[in-house]
Amino acid sequence: MNPLQSMLRSPIGRPVVLLLVVVAALAAADGGHGRVLSQATAYSVLQQFATLGPIALALGLTMMVREFDLSIGGTLSFAGCVAVLAGGVHPLLGVVLALAVGAASGLVQAGIMWRLGLGSISVTLGGLFVLSGLAYVLTGNETIGFERMDVVEAVNQRLAGVFSLRSLLAIGVFLIAEFVISWTRVGRDLIAVGSDRRAALVAGVRVKAILFATFAVAGMLTGGSGALLSFSLAAASPVGLADTLVPAAAAAIVGGVSLSGGKGRPLGIAAGALVLCVLRSGLTAIGVPPFMHDIASGVVLLAVALVDSDELGRRLHPLKSRFTHPSLL
Amino acid sequence: MPGMLAAIGRPGGLEAVRIVRIVAVLALVGWAVATPGFFSKTSILALLTTVSFIGCVAVGMTFITLSGNIMSFSLGVTLSAGTIVFVGMLPLGLLPAIAITLVFGALVSGLQGWVIGYFRANPVIVSMAAMALITGLTTWLTGGRGVYPEGTEADVLKGQVGPVPGPVAALLLLAFAGQFVLSCTRLGRQVYLVGSNPRAARAVGIEPWRTVVFAYVAAGVFTAVSAVLIAARYSSGDMQHGIGYDYHAISAVLLGGTAIQGGRGSVVHTLAGAFLLATVQGLLLLHGFSTQMQYLLTGGLVLGAIMLQYRGGTR
Repeated sequence: MNPLQSMLRSPIGRPVVLLLVVVAALAAADGGHGRVLSQATAYSVLQQFATLGPIALALGLTMMVREFDLSIGGTLSFAGCVAVLAGGVHPLLGVVLALAVGAASGLVQAGIMWRLGLGSISVTLGGLFVLSGLAYVLTGNETIGFERMDVVEAVNQRLAGVFSLRSLLAIGVFLIAEFVISWTRVGRDLIAVGSDRRAALVAGVRVKAILFATFAVAGMLTGGSGALLSFSLAAASPVGLADTLVPAAAAAIVGGVSLSGGKGRPLGIAAGALVLCVLRSGLTAIGVPPFMHDIASGVVLLAVALVDSDELGRRLHPLKSRFTHPSLL
Repeated sequence: MPGMLAAIGRPGGLEAVRIVRIVAVLALVGWAVATPGFFSKTSILALLTTVSFIGCVAVGMTFITLSGNIMSFSLGVTLSAGTIVFVGMLPLGLLPAIAITLVFGALVSGLQGWVIGYFRANPVIVSMAAMALITGLTTWLTGGRGVYPEGTEADVLKGQVGPVPGPVAALLLLAFAGQFVLSCTRLGRQVYLVGSNPRAARAVGIEPWRTVVFAYVAAGVFTAVSAVLIAARYSSGDMQHGIGYDYHAISAVLLGGTAIQGGRGSVVHTLAGAFLLATVQGLLLLHGFSTQMQYLLTGGLVLGAIMLQYRGGTR
């Protein structure tokens, strides 16, 4: 394997290369008008990253332990509504409650999975329905406004030209996550649980604790992201935030997380989320109509699904596989 | 609730699960009988019509779930795009328009099945990619606007077959056909085998990808039927029509007791699930529950149904 190949296969290398390719392609498509490589675009990319990044990290973490959290859309809306309602009293109370709601939903769902031996997809599907139902009941099926304009301004205000409080928090979260996953025992245990749960159990990894913690952290990341997003939009709605699952999954998968578990790094997920945000902001900046975002992210998602598929190699080299794998598989 | 969970968690829990299921259905029937107006003609007809739109998609989803591919996130947008195709093709005549819509559904879904089966790509991700692609391409082609038929050819589909509304007749026919294919044909049996154990399927000489493509083609065709019915009912084709249908459909599949991991369940189960869902929604409506309470309670019901899929000793 040459160095280029090995870099493309590493969980951080591939998304970073893809990110550079996307930026270069957009800059080329812009044709020197300076619409893509501008401070305004960078700020808009980072604002989107502040929402998508933590959600993608949440979903990515559950995928790394070989589970899948479908309920993030519901957690995001519910926590956002909680944050706006409680944020009227005090913004910090809103954030804390949103984090608590996220952690609780993660723990309860992990508890159901563990106790009843059910798969995460089915349990979190039910969780999604219940959480969005709760958001509907809490808001009385309406969009609720957030009155504290000082808070709205504080989370969106530009810092150092391209950042905001929201995007700095998201970046901080990614750095902490990268440290934990790459440098601590918890991180190695998490990867072990995702790679081979039985072997991890035999090796003395506390599988149950890791699973519960992963779902709790995923819920908190989603809840916090929902709170800050609602503050930033000065509104929360039970319907408005439902379309997050696809971009989050796309970001995690582009970011090098594998659905078969045990693979992925937070910095890779960050790069994956940035790819999607750059695509969206960049395409808007050069005046491409919005439906192209859907097409572009669909193509990217499909391409990564194909590259990561189990049998791409076998299907592309039928002769080779006939000689090397003459048996059933 | 904790007490009930504990009972289910014990080795003898399977009996408890069965009892909970029976009690739940009996309670629902009792509630329906005790609700004045539930068995009125308008209420029943409204219920049946709702069931039929979701039911067709749910029957399609059953094939995907049974074949071991969990669920599809693209059936809702396939339905939406199908309504647009149907209305767009109506000038060619009613039957050609129906045929083209069915072929469209089969192709769109079958292609995903091919990618999923042939390359063993992840079904969740492929269906999400398809959802984004179909949404983008359809919005591109239509400019994001709905389309409306010029003539009234499609109004025939709003009619009744004897005393039965057209959509209900279509659902019953489809469900019968779907169950027949699953139970009595080779392809249908292979769907079960591939869903429960693809390795074993290979060992007995089945190419799993062909079966997976078949399951997705079936899902696409059933979804397209729903698209035709909905386009006829609302006299329009619109990307809004299919919103939420993937989730409604998988709810019906799971409520019916089809296993999410594949290989176990049936179209009849899904039909029962769809009726259960619609009955509960109808009852909540008659009892004056707000829309938001209906969302929450049906959500809780689906979660409960999923928890009852516990089969003991899987972990």
